Amino acid sequence: MLAAVRIQAEDFSQNEEVDALKAGSKCMGGIATFIGCARDFSEGREVSQIGFEAYGSMALAEMKKLRSEAIERFGLLDARIVHRVTTVQAGDNIVFIAAGAEHRAAAFDACRWMIDELKQRVPIWKKEITPQGEAWVTPHP
Amino acid sequence: MIKVLFFGPVADRVQMRETQVEFTPGMTLHDIIAHLGMQYPGVFSIVSFFAVNQNQVHDKQMALQDNDEVAFMAKFSGG
Repeated sequence: MLAAVRIQAEDFSQNEEVDALKAGSKCMGGIATFIGCARDFSEGREVSQIGFEAYGSMALAEMKKLRSEAIERFGLLDARIVHRVTTVQAGDNIVFIAAGAEHRAAAFDACRWMIDELKQRVPIWKKEITPQGEAWVTPHP
Repeated sequence: MIKVLFFGPVADRVQMRETQVEFTPGMTLHDIIAHLGMQYPGVFSIVSFFAVNQNQVHDKQMALQDNDEVAFMAKFSGG
């Protein structure tokens, strides 16, 4: 069974992640998922690839903390967070978040909260590679 | 020694990913910032976060211990 929180270069399968989430409890009535993927444009420029870099040990520890906090805060039955750290092409998956709860409201709220917090708290950086050159991304709100 | 790590945009600016600073008793995070700030003028303008031993630190007067790992990080942009 894959760990609930991971940083990896390879792609993930949403179906496998959701199956793993559901395997933990038959009380789960709602699952909300978020997938972040690579756009082929940014601020009017064509983007061909996006490269990621992480402070791996700290990023993984922070993601585990984030999952635990989400479970506690929203009363989730389980949650999963997977972030790819590699170079991806336009359209590729980057990040997967899933929140499983007895009811949908907690699942939706927790899913949104986790991706918002991840962007603020987890030491990962992205660099856009365009035909004109490369540039580190300034965070979006 | 204090191990100092740089990532992403900060690593690009200092053109390295890791360096070491000799530890002296009583040394603080601020001392490391001052030391590296002289070597790499302007680098700290893009540093938004500091970490010591993988924990984010807000108090620059925090005392360091020998063999600590310090990281200087720009704003995160994962996800």
